Amino acid sequence: MSSRFKNIRNFSIIAHIDHGKSTLADRILEYTRSVQSRDMEEQLLDNMDLERERGITIKAHAVNLQYNAPDGEIYSLNLIDTPGHVDFGYEVSRSLNACEGALLVVDSTQGIEAQSLANAYLASDAGLEIVPIINKIDLPAADVERVRAEIEDTLAIPADDCPAISAKQGTNIDQVIEKIITAIPPPSGDESSPLKCLIFDSYYDSYMGVVVYVRVFDGMVGPGDFIRLMNIGSEFQVIDVGIMSPFGLTKREKLYAGDVGYITASIKDVSETRVGDTITNAQNGTATPLPGFKKALPMVFAGIYPADGSRYGDLRDALEKLQLNDASLSFEPETSAALGFGFRCGFLGLLHMEIIEQRLEREFNLDLITTAPSVVYKIKKTDGNVIYIDNPTNYPPPDEIAEADEPIVKASVITPVEYVGGIMELCQDRRGIFIDMKYIDQTRAELHYELPLNEIIYDFFDALKSRSKGYASLDYELDGYKRSKLVKLDILLNGELVDALSFIVHEEKAYARGRRIAEKLKDNISRQLFEIPVQAAIGGKIIARETVKALRKDVLAKCYGGDITRKKKLLEKQKEGKKRMRQLGSVEISPEAFMSVLKFDE
Amino acid sequence: MENKLGLYIHIPFCSSKCAYCDFYSITEPKKHQRYIDSLILHMEDYSETLDNYDIDSVFIGGGTPTVLSKKLMITLLDGIFNNFNITKDAEITLEANPATIDTGILKRYRSEGINRLSIGMQSSCDNELKALTRIHTFDEFEESFRAARKAKFDNINIDLMYGIPEQTTASFKMSLDAVCDLQPEHVSVYGLKIEDNTPFAEKIETLVLPDEDEEYAMYEMAVNTLTQQDYVQYEISNFARPGFECRHNLKYWNCKEYLGLGPAAHSYLNDCRFSFRRDMDLYMEAMEKIDTEYDILDECYNITPKERVGEYIMLQLRLNQGLDTERFRELFNLNFERIYGKYLKIYVENDFMKKDKSTYSFTTKGRYVSNYILSAMLDFDSNIISNIVNGTDKS
Repeated sequence: MSSRFKNIRNFSIIAHIDHGKSTLADRILEYTRSVQSRDMEEQLLDNMDLERERGITIKAHAVNLQYNAPDGEIYSLNLIDTPGHVDFGYEVSRSLNACEGALLVVDSTQGIEAQSLANAYLASDAGLEIVPIINKIDLPAADVERVRAEIEDTLAIPADDCPAISAKQGTNIDQVIEKIITAIPPPSGDESSPLKCLIFDSYYDSYMGVVVYVRVFDGMVGPGDFIRLMNIGSEFQVIDVGIMSPFGLTKREKLYAGDVGYITASIKDVSETRVGDTITNAQNGTATPLPGFKKALPMVFAGIYPADGSRYGDLRDALEKLQLNDASLSFEPETSAALGFGFRCGFLGLLHMEIIEQRLEREFNLDLITTAPSVVYKIKKTDGNVIYIDNPTNYPPPDEIAEADEPIVKASVITPVEYVGGIMELCQDRRGIFIDMKYIDQTRAELHYELPLNEIIYDFFDALKSRSKGYASLDYELDGYKRSKLVKLDILLNGELVDALSFIVHEEKAYARGRRIAEKLKDNISRQLFEIPVQAAIGGKIIARETVKALRKDVLAKCYGGDITRKKKLLEKQKEGKKRMRQLGSVEISPEAFMSVLKFDE
Repeated sequence: MENKLGLYIHIPFCSSKCAYCDFYSITEPKKHQRYIDSLILHMEDYSETLDNYDIDSVFIGGGTPTVLSKKLMITLLDGIFNNFNITKDAEITLEANPATIDTGILKRYRSEGINRLSIGMQSSCDNELKALTRIHTFDEFEESFRAARKAKFDNINIDLMYGIPEQTTASFKMSLDAVCDLQPEHVSVYGLKIEDNTPFAEKIETLVLPDEDEEYAMYEMAVNTLTQQDYVQYEISNFARPGFECRHNLKYWNCKEYLGLGPAAHSYLNDCRFSFRRDMDLYMEAMEKIDTEYDILDECYNITPKERVGEYIMLQLRLNQGLDTERFRELFNLNFERIYGKYLKIYVENDFMKKDKSTYSFTTKGRYVSNYILSAMLDFDSNIISNIVNGTDKS
């Protein structure tokens, strides 16, 4: 083994949301003195505001730590932080592939959850050495021994000597570092072979262009080298290479096999630098790319419109900016009779969608109207053509459809046993097909279901949480298409179809869903001068009807003495409010009323 | 004299604050004397500049003006008469709270020139008065009303309120009947509005308020009941025997000039709307130290021509007589129907407004959604109006 390799460790931390992954990362940084604790902002790795706030990691990050071990050796530790959510499963798998080992953080008060399990399987599939860490031992509800047993039973990983720590209080962090060095194997590779790097992340910087995060498996790379991105097929000349120190990019002369670092090469667009792609030499490169590349495909689509129609241009600019750093976000212009000009956006999943919405609203100060999310349906028409539909508006009329298929997922839910009944009911209600149930230990079970994706994109996760007092966890992966009986449900306001409110639903659920939406709209559309009928229809058939009663009272009956200004201001404020309204024929509807149909509370 | 002016005097004192009220008022009796002195100093400031005005309405409102001692009230009245040209037929109104007046006092005020009383009854149901945190019962109100009659007041307004916590259409009917029995000359019927920064706003979740439809039913009941009793509705909230319409309040709706003195009082004078800051101590200090720079102005702005058009429409349409398009053309050289035709057509067709010769007015149903309609129609910053006002439209 090259002596270089001996002192390198590449590892990730995997965990369920809130089990303390980012806090542990911070402690490791602190312990290795990469960061002085007084300089340290909580959770340095999660440097997007939204991430810090939600306590989750959205994009992968990486950091290089130089550790002076008590034995006198200096180790180069590369910590690759992974996104913790099911929507980003592919990105997690690529990050894991860049490592030789993974710390599996398990909350000693909660035990193993669906995402810990899913990520642990991913890590073990990637051939990683898994080092369990039992966290939060400072909490009164900690049960280290139970969790130890659970890890051994469920994952078949020895856990008898795994560190039990409190990342929050910094207890036993030394044992974690010790384990990283002793349990995780050093990298291997061949510096003299052609270059072979795995892209596990990239982001756009306005000065440097795209900064590509890589793990070098073979060969070496440095400034001036010509490189080729094998799957995309594009070529660039390297400007800089280096490592990610805790305080930013630090240039190096070269990156060698075994290293984790960055490459810049005047690349203009992150869509060139797909996660999972292999970088090699432009001349005499490797013939075989690293396995497992796939282009992350959007699974959930929704129309996003500016609440204020005049901000369409701002919305486009904002989406373009977000896309610079998020190749998995797709969008194209779309027009709705109800909402005007907007974009059809594709997302990896619901969380991804929520994050994009929130970033648009916060970072770009946009007020948005989002349509109901849709999955991609596969329709075989009577003329033999097969089309994919991601927008209910384009759904063909029933007599043109020969077969309709919808995407299916394999879902795994881990829950305390007392909620199994309620969760099975929920899955049943969402057209789930039961596969099996395993007991993780005496108190918790893991349920497997096959579920239509369109049943979980609305509020499944919320429903799951509410039925399990927040304890159940979910993981899912796409599992192809399946024949289904689908119908398009339309909503009519005052007799006029509102295109943005149409959606595709299973035949059996159409009636209940239609009724629920009509009720929601009735409750959320403000009273106007005239009565407004709200109807749900399939084809031409009305299946539900509600009425928004006519406005009766909107008057300043009170006399404010001679304070005419106040009366004027009230009317002006009201006028301002009206400007936010969408005019649909004779009906005014607020963005809030539009959005209300997206939430089906139980 | 050509120039007429209304005078409003604000007496921001109460013996206790009602939980729904957001008018500026304090409860410090120690400040009564000094405040009246300050008011008179303020009147003296205006005395000369307003010498070319005849004051044909005075309204002493609050607060609760009748918490002042008899002596202070008379000092105040003397101040008014000494500093302004009060016409012989001027309407001089005093706002009075039940439980703060008796026949003796009222006789004296009557002889000092007050010729109109406005008494807050609000409800004939004591549970509702209690819910409103009023300090009087209905019996006490009735007693005050009879005292006023005994003191020879022949122009009395009663304030009545609907939309009160616990109120029902049935209990409101009782209040209406109680008013009709007393035969006042004028009735103001106000809907309770929960204003921000009041105790009611804080506990709004716990208030059992009539809903929108019930409230409208109460309003409609008031309109019908009072009309049957020969009261004429002349404004959204005001009813009177013919000839007893409140001259002072009409000035507001007819865009006439008025001066309001005291903290939080509003004025409209020389095309300027202004008000004084809601700060009693600041007001008194400013009046006493004449050579010091105290800024007691709260808002102060000149009405632009386009704003004047919007205000005129908003205010005229509050009145049952409505807006006369001929008069509108004379005043602004604008064609009302041409500007608002598309709205007017829909509103008339659907019985929210009616047209009578050259006049547009709200129906009862339309009047009660008038904010909605006016906010759709009017735009105080509208370019349409400003283009027209600037002379591009002479139709």
